[in-house]
Amino acid sequence: MTNVETALKEAVAIDGAIGAALVDYTSGMALGTIGGGKELDLTVAAAGNTDVVRAKVRAMEMLGLDEEIEDILITLGTQYHLIRLLKSRTSQGLFLYLALSKDRANLAMARHQLKKLEADLEV
Amino acid sequence: MLVRLAAERATGALLRDHGTLYLVDGRVVHAESPAAPGMDVLLTTAGRLPREGWDEAVDRAGAHRAVGRFLVDSGRLGDGELEICHLGAVFDAAFFALSPTSGPTRFRYGVGHWFGTVRPVSAEAVERETLRRRELLDAVWPYASVDTAPVVPRPAAPHQGVGARRRALLAAADGVRTPAELARHLGRPAFHTLLDVRRLAAAGLVETPLDAAPDAAPAPPAPAFPPVPPVSDPDIALLRRLRDALEAHL
Repeated sequence: MTNVETALKEAVAIDGAIGAALVDYTSGMALGTIGGGKELDLTVAAAGNTDVVRAKVRAMEMLGLDEEIEDILITLGTQYHLIRLLKSRTSQGLFLYLALSKDRANLAMARHQLKKLEADLEV
Repeated sequence: MLVRLAAERATGALLRDHGTLYLVDGRVVHAESPAAPGMDVLLTTAGRLPREGWDEAVDRAGAHRAVGRFLVDSGRLGDGELEICHLGAVFDAAFFALSPTSGPTRFRYGVGHWFGTVRPVSAEAVERETLRRRELLDAVWPYASVDTAPVVPRPAAPHQGVGARRRALLAAADGVRTPAELARHLGRPAFHTLLDVRRLAAAGLVETPLDAAPDAAPAPPAPAFPPVPPVSDPDIALLRRLRDALEAHL
């Protein structure tokens, strides 16, 4: 069991991590951010990526897929953006957002670590 | 006012028409609003915590302002879970507490809240988020009238998909409950419910009260020329001469 700050610190400790955020995807609010810096404004990224998650959820509803999204990967020229949806027991929908540098990150490892982090956060 | 209190690192309660913000050393530690469901509703309605568990925590730890701590220490809630739920509730209540109002704003120095401090947030962050939320609502559907009116569902168009969360909201909308009542009924944050209702209204799945005028509607531009009075007998001969003159000129 960790709190938000520890969870985010662990997230940016993942190899190649640029920044991480915990985001409430209904309101688009970042409950916590870490890293990012000048080239990546995480609060803006948080709000923007809620639209990505919502669009995918809607697409699945339309397709009649009765499944849950585990994670979403967005590949850029130099970065990976990983979105991991948390299975919250309270009614808030949350996701962890992790930006990775493409040449330093190991994608499979990062996904695995993010999964572990989700379990630790106990939400 | 909030910015000033933050600058002087004040401790106390900021009382406004639609809610109260609690500050410690100029940082926001708690917020309450009659419009937003409290932590108790969020936790018990979702089935995360039995009602007795909550009551016990308030009984035993309320007096020394450590209800949140007690919930974690007694193993009822995870650390992260408490933090997330509390932050969600604080920003939710702050949205209503900081909404524009003509009423008075007072500050009582030294007043604390029984829930106890979980994770303080800076006053600027609360203010910024509140503004962002207000803009988001209007970007989705600029009719504030749906926020307070009873939610009346409309039939969906063929093949129009509705997500599970909004389906539950529509199912609970009985044409009497307002968004705030629906939030309490479903155990969801009030702002999230407002946003869902506005999205549903934009998709045509919820009635938008007819008398509503868009908030952001610009005033119609002033006419460039004074309106022309209706003419009953146009001077045909004059118009002909005018036309001939124009044709000759061009």
